[in-house]
Amino acid sequence: MPLPVAVPLLVGAVLLLVGKFLPGRIPDAVAAATAVLVVVIDAKLAAHAAQGPLVYWMGNWQPRAGVTLGIAFVVDEAQAILGAFIALLFAASFAFAWGYFEDIRAFFHVLMLIFLAAMQGFCLSHDLFNFFVWFEVMSVTAFALTAYRLEADPLEGALNFTVTNTIGSFLILGGIALVYSLAGMLDFGALARSLAHEPGDPVAVAAFCMIATGLLIKGAAMPFHFWLADAHAVAPSPVSVIFSGAMVPLALFGLGKIYWDAFQPVAAVQVLMDTTVLALGMTTAVIGGLACLRQRHLKRLLAFSTVSHGGILLIGLALPGAASLGGFLAYFIGHGLVKGALFMVAGILLASAGGIDELWLRGRGRPLWPAGIAMAVAGILLGGAPFGLMDCGSRLMDAAAAARGEDWVLIAIVLGAACTGGAVLRGAGRIFLGLGEMPGEEARGPSEEESEKPDRPLWLMMLPVLLLLILALGTGLPQVDETAVRAAGRFLAWDGVASIAPVTPPPPAAVPTGVHPLVPWVSLGLAVLIAAHDLGRAWLPRTWRRRFERAFFEPIFTAIDRTHDGVVGDYVAWILVGLALFSVSAAAALHAG
Amino acid sequence: MSYVPWATAAWLSAVGIYGVITSRHYVHLIGCLTVVQSATYVALLSVGYRFGSVAPIFYTRSPSTPAVDPVLQALVLTDIVVGATITALLLALTLQVHKKRGTVNPERLRPFRQ
Repeated sequence: MPLPVAVPLLVGAVLLLVGKFLPGRIPDAVAAATAVLVVVIDAKLAAHAAQGPLVYWMGNWQPRAGVTLGIAFVVDEAQAILGAFIALLFAASFAFAWGYFEDIRAFFHVLMLIFLAAMQGFCLSHDLFNFFVWFEVMSVTAFALTAYRLEADPLEGALNFTVTNTIGSFLILGGIALVYSLAGMLDFGALARSLAHEPGDPVAVAAFCMIATGLLIKGAAMPFHFWLADAHAVAPSPVSVIFSGAMVPLALFGLGKIYWDAFQPVAAVQVLMDTTVLALGMTTAVIGGLACLRQRHLKRLLAFSTVSHGGILLIGLALPGAASLGGFLAYFIGHGLVKGALFMVAGILLASAGGIDELWLRGRGRPLWPAGIAMAVAGILLGGAPFGLMDCGSRLMDAAAAARGEDWVLIAIVLGAACTGGAVLRGAGRIFLGLGEMPGEEARGPSEEESEKPDRPLWLMMLPVLLLLILALGTGLPQVDETAVRAAGRFLAWDGVASIAPVTPPPPAAVPTGVHPLVPWVSLGLAVLIAAHDLGRAWLPRTWRRRFERAFFEPIFTAIDRTHDGVVGDYVAWILVGLALFSVSAAAALHAG
Repeated sequence: MSYVPWATAAWLSAVGIYGVITSRHYVHLIGCLTVVQSATYVALLSVGYRFGSVAPIFYTRSPSTPAVDPVLQALVLTDIVVGATITALLLALTLQVHKKRGTVNPERLRPFRQ
């Protein structure tokens, strides 16, 4: 049971000890093999957990006479599947990073393995403080990995990342102190039972606000997302793959976990999830998408697309019920696969074409055409194409929203998907086909010179990209909808109580339908339209460019540019604004309840 | 329980965050971050504190002696470790940034300056 955490930690420790003496590619091979091993362990756990949740008490400190002192790991199907996916992404990233880092002591592999262990622990933990510890291990390794290259831009990005996320950690700790003062225990199940006695307690609501804010900072919801674009854009590409594909969505899953497992009995928290978190998700999806269109630094563009899709994931979390949580799970995995592949394509461009600026790269990607095809496919998937895992996820979320009579949620999902997909398609067209010539555009000052280690063969870098995209298309994975909804339903029914009570038989899994089949096409069409507009601007009538773009979009884009100014103090001020927003809505919810 | 420790924690985090927002020097900013963190120490310790009880070490006493909550003490210890790690890492980053950019003023350190 604790093997997914223990194995990478142990291998990491051994690598740290003997890394100095290992020649050449051995650390690469060991790290990749470890990640694959974790995938296998998680898959086995998922198979076992299908019968019922697995509970493991550290040091065998089982609850006695209703008192829960021990710390538990609980494995449900949902967590095991997410864990397996995360380990798979690590394996792909290790394969992509084959020969990327030449240092003698394999520090990169050690850090990545600890990062992997922390994510597994975060997934499985069933105790509020243990949860925080894994969160923190995850954060610290992430900070160090961001600044791994020790150059000016990565260092600045890492500083912003560290300061903002550390404030998030302190908020979580404060929340833990509050909730412990109220309930006197930390196990999720015991906590839920104790909170159910006082469903209207303001202290519980305050604690939830603080913990949720901390997790949303890591999960990059508006207005806590500012660090993300700085950090993901400057981290080494194999690390960005993990950041965008796994770390950010995992923090959102953590929010879901503390909500369903522990805080759900509190009425005001339910209202908060239904309204404020849903609204945050929708705003994040749209603004993230617009900011994404604005970027010419390819990795920064992808970072904003992660913000936007994080917003969509947040929508899936905020809508109650197994269907939308199932949608969340499918979207999590689908988005992680696609975004991982895209960051790898960006890494290929950095390594082989020698740049990351979209305008500078115009047409220079032609010799790397396989990467271009991969980027186009990924753009189509991001844009909401009606196939693959992401589509399955968004369909489930749409259906869940429609079932509650909140169809308008759909607009945010479609807009977010269309903007990000459009931006990626535009990039693919410009870089690999040389489209969209605009005289004088490049003169606007290219970003800093960047490149990554060149001499790796293209096929080696394309292999993980292909693997991820094939999986994202959903080939070889039958009945994704059913599996996702079933796992989500069991998670909701079992995960919270697994540590304190025997579980009831699994609830039936009904896959909802009822979204118009045209919705994905609308989204994809919008994405293509956006890409075509940006690439074909030279042919548009001048009056259109003047009137429409200047009047309507310029103010929005200028505001977006101004707020993302890279100054860490401003980012922290935005965090306070978000926290205040949360507190005000919590007070309103308490007052109403 | 008294409200004084909570008020102290709130005050410490407020001044700490004010410092982080207005800081013009990264080392100063890291100091402010440590102040914010002290707020969590105060909050955690005050939750576990029992008046008139002893430290949770029962080597020479009977285990039924009233003691402060050991869970919170463990949490604070972990918190201190976290704080030390973060501070060390941040200071190392600051040192490196100073080598590359020649300044540690957050206002002048902007990734992706336009």
